[in-house]
Amino acid sequence: MAEYEVRVRRRRTWGVVLVGLALLIAVLVFVNKPAPAATNGGSISLSLKAVPTIRSVTVSPGTASFSNCTGGSADADTASTSDALGYPNGHCWLGAPGANGTFPIKITYQGPPGQVFVVGANASPSGGGPDWALCNPSAACTGPGGAPGVDQYMVKNFGTDTNSSTGLTGSLTCDPEFSSRGCSATQGQSEKEGIELIGPESSGSTSSSWTVTVTWAAAPPSS
Amino acid sequence: MHLRRLLAVPLAVPVALVALASFTQTSDASVGVGVQASPVSLGSMAHRGQRYALPLDVVNTGTEAEALSMRVERLTRGPGRAVPPSWIQFAGPAVQLAPGKAARVSLELVVPGGATPGEYLSDIVVSGAAAGQPGMGNLGVAAATKLEFSVSSAPAQGAFSFPVWMWWAITVLLLLTVTVFGVRRSGLRIRVERGSSHRDAVDHQGEPHG
Repeated sequence: MAEYEVRVRRRRTWGVVLVGLALLIAVLVFVNKPAPAATNGGSISLSLKAVPTIRSVTVSPGTASFSNCTGGSADADTASTSDALGYPNGHCWLGAPGANGTFPIKITYQGPPGQVFVVGANASPSGGGPDWALCNPSAACTGPGGAPGVDQYMVKNFGTDTNSSTGLTGSLTCDPEFSSRGCSATQGQSEKEGIELIGPESSGSTSSSWTVTVTWAAAPPSS
Repeated sequence: MHLRRLLAVPLAVPVALVALASFTQTSDASVGVGVQASPVSLGSMAHRGQRYALPLDVVNTGTEAEALSMRVERLTRGPGRAVPPSWIQFAGPAVQLAPGKAARVSLELVVPGGATPGEYLSDIVVSGAAAGQPGMGNLGVAAATKLEFSVSSAPAQGAFSFPVWMWWAITVLLLLTVTVFGVRRSGLRIRVERGSSHRDAVDHQGEPHG
């Protein structure tokens, strides 16, 4: 009986081709590999800006003294002095309006676009007695010729661009100094302002020292 | 005498510098307050009779320490009822903040049981307490952010509100009940008996052969 030997050989052609390709790829990768840096590592500084997430207002200085006071009655011995308000209806200034005026208060808005409001408050005496209430178009002044009456006073803010002709109220209202159209404000916008104060016809308190507060507020845009 | 004059000049210069520096600090002093720009809102509908915590970020942007106080006031125009101030409770009278420091304060929205359903919109106004120096014009600062939420028209959940663990317990009990009923209805009976080798032996003997 004849014996046959059967040999099965795998064709090497494709294997050789695959090995060759692999070698070629390895050589190419090696050749294209960037040369190692001379130093152990490197870094670059990247700057990134992000939108503000806080809405704020900053006012400088925090306190200021009224000056250039005028008015009052010399006959009644209550005329204003340069730094003291006289009766009736003396005027005092923080800064001076006009083209050559001075505007000692700097209001700076920070944050996404919004609005700046301003609000007044009652003046309170340090020596006790009744406050002076704010009077303005919404809370009529009862003095002669529309001036502040007894225990009333008026506060107006003015800026470099416009004069505030109406008095501040006790509610947050648009500060027109920030924008000719409303009181819109943008990131970093600042305005310089001053304050005019008109005193009462007469005071129910004999105090010679009063605290007057004007507050600026940053608010979301009107929607 | 000559020695005194010699000393006067070197002493006067630093004294003048200190005086100038203190004057500059006074004139550079500022007051400032900031509040988060994003509105204070609830992630979901508010329900009548419920309380919700509302975190609020505040900042003192001035150079003076501030005592910040908060109140609710409608400044923003738009649809929605004004939030009654009594619905917002503040943790304390004021938040003390050093210059340049920020803090997260927690407010609480308390929706009364009789609240009208719908949208609500107001502002939270954070005010810096003005120094209040007598005889001076005090310049104050404030910052506002929107407060918005909706009250659900669904009935107050106060009567049905349970802690989470109670919901889990109720769910497990329900599942057990359903399982027991299901097993009974299917006719299956599971009997658990102690194994007995003697009975097994008897059973094997009794098996029919063939």
